[in-house]
Amino acid sequence: MQGPLIDTLALHGVSRRTFLKYCSTLASLMALPPAAGVAMAEAMAAAPAAAKRPSVIWLPFQECTGCTESITRSHSPSIEGMIFDMVSLDYQETLMAAAGHQAEEVLRKTVEANKGQFLLIIDGSVATGLDGAYSCIAGRSNLALLKEIAPHAAAIVAMGSCAAYGGLPKAKPNPTGAVSVSDIVKDKPIVNIPGCPPIPVVMTGVLAHFLTFGSLPDLDKLGRPKAFYGETIHDRCYRRPFYDQGKFAKTFDDEGARNGWCLFELGCKGPVTYNACATVKWNGGTSWPVESGHGCLGCSEPNFWDAGGFYKALSMPANPLRMAAGAAVAGAAAGVAVSFANRAKKKDAKAAHETTTLADLEKSEER
Amino acid sequence: MNLGGIPILAADPDAGLSGNALPLLREIAERLKRLLATGEAGALDLHSLPLTPADRAWLKARLGEGEIRVILDSDGESTLDETACPGVWWVTHRNLHGAVSVELIEVAFVPELVKAHPEDVQNGLAHLELLMGDLR
Amino acid sequence: MNELQFLTWVRGTGLNIAVGLFLLGVLWRLIEIYSLGRKKDLSAPRHVAGASGWNTVFRRSIPPEGMVKRSPVSYLGGYAFHIGLAIVVFLFAPHIKLIQSLTGLSWPALPSQFIDLVAVVTLAAMVVVLADRINKPVKRFLSTFEDWFTWTVTFLPVLTGWLAVRHLLFPYTTMLALHILSVEILLVVLPFTKLFHAFTVFGSRWFNGAVNGHKGVAV
Repeated sequence: MQGPLIDTLALHGVSRRTFLKYCSTLASLMALPPAAGVAMAEAMAAAPAAAKRPSVIWLPFQECTGCTESITRSHSPSIEGMIFDMVSLDYQETLMAAAGHQAEEVLRKTVEANKGQFLLIIDGSVATGLDGAYSCIAGRSNLALLKEIAPHAAAIVAMGSCAAYGGLPKAKPNPTGAVSVSDIVKDKPIVNIPGCPPIPVVMTGVLAHFLTFGSLPDLDKLGRPKAFYGETIHDRCYRRPFYDQGKFAKTFDDEGARNGWCLFELGCKGPVTYNACATVKWNGGTSWPVESGHGCLGCSEPNFWDAGGFYKALSMPANPLRMAAGAAVAGAAAGVAVSFANRAKKKDAKAAHETTTLADLEKSEER
Repeated sequence: MNLGGIPILAADPDAGLSGNALPLLREIAERLKRLLATGEAGALDLHSLPLTPADRAWLKARLGEGEIRVILDSDGESTLDETACPGVWWVTHRNLHGAVSVELIEVAFVPELVKAHPEDVQNGLAHLELLMGDLR
Repeated sequence: MNELQFLTWVRGTGLNIAVGLFLLGVLWRLIEIYSLGRKKDLSAPRHVAGASGWNTVFRRSIPPEGMVKRSPVSYLGGYAFHIGLAIVVFLFAPHIKLIQSLTGLSWPALPSQFIDLVAVVTLAAMVVVLADRINKPVKRFLSTFEDWFTWTVTFLPVLTGWLAVRHLLFPYTTMLALHILSVEILLVVLPFTKLFHAFTVFGSRWFNGAVNGHKGVAV
């Protein structure tokens, strides 16, 4: 179906005002000024609608299904709306009715029919230990599956911190040899949508961008869409004024905590975490961690699990200084050893000492 | 411990105020001046500003309530309420589940969303003419 | 490596290594130096007023007569940055918190605004002292790589710390990570350079005073 998107939407019963409202929401969650929402609406309304619903394949690897749980709670655009109206979600183990050989057949056929066209979404990290045997689907390892399917995709979306950076499975000591999708696939455009789980509207927002503009959004150096991951939690936090005023909650039940002061000293990772929680919030805009009184865990950053404890302030030592005692003992031992060596040297010098008399000196002068 | 032994602490009414709401009033005043001088409308996205819930309540109380309340029923309910300062609108967009998705302060004679688009008016006219044709 | 990983490294592994090397170096050198010992002076001690180890420790902390006039930059600049460093390092609230979290010891802090002022004075004094070292031919002639290097590793922690507190140049957390890193470099370098005078200055003064006091000379 060709023609401006707004006409296509009208045929689907979406009024102009509904569309304007959607664009206004999108601009707000991308932290753009309200005027940008109007501009976006004009651009999107005039853009030609996609001729065919793009095929989407969603592969779950070493994951907990939290990302799927999160996206199914997406509001505007909702996941139901996406599946039926915007994309053809051909393979998603949690949501699809088919199972077993039928499901695997669908996967094979979809890849075959949409070579170079489909969008590949991956959640979960890729286990590489024991040739990937730690995580398998239908008898094949995730690693083999990724290497087989990725070359045929138009683009890859790494959904969640595990797919984007290795996430929780990669936490020390990383028993399964977990790595991110971008560690394996090097020659395809990859969008990282980190978060544990990612914010639902961020996931659907990226899909909407791909569908309306036919391209992937601008990415930062970690492969994240700038629109959502452009600023830190701290920069957009409503408790930021208290940080600037030096008002901090010291425990979770003191007066500062009751007054909603800054949670930096309770280990908030907001200052180093790039995500949209502070503006978009969770559960359809109900609240978000800091608003509920808990610091940010930094779940959308690489290796957040090993970042020195969730409840330690960013300015405090991350780990107890384990080397200190050993180093002190080693230093003392080295000092004692060197002093014994010095003593021995002194003793040798004393032993080798020859007495010089006045007569000796006079003799040497005569010569 | 008996009930009398539990200390009662009255919450400080200014406890949650960050001091960030007052500058917003100045910004709104600036935008109103621009609206009067050039007719240019503007908006502030409250979600993207570092405001505490107390700040937002304070701001809403200062701006007060005006005479017009618009309810837009599209993909969830939206309310566009004029404040006690004509030209300043408190806009709240909700999704189908009733959760607030966007909260804006719009400075305009009439918010853009309320006005009917000429193309839509055209469609409405066509519909009306069709209707009249059937009735004849 | 992103900001979080950098910060995590400097406040984790980096700090661990730096503090370890610092303790190792300090104990090694202190034991080595003090175990060297002195030959026993068999002569009868001469008693002169003001000639003793403790007197020298005190006397050398104040400038000899006329020297402030002859070399004002060395003395005033030196005092300003040494006292400034001590105040900034030991009386700034976040530093006390850090020491408390590591050792359990704490003491009252000075107001942050005052510390800010002291940091600026310290930085200015250090720049003036460096300029003097470059400008005076004799000082420049006597300077080796170690002098320029130790000045840099002392200057950087103060500069990065001040920038971090003032939220200048980089985002706070990046600046904080750079500050911690610069302190770690200082910790590693300190025991093995002339900066070790932080530990030996009073001991060596006492030795000098005591040895000369025995001979009846007040130095």
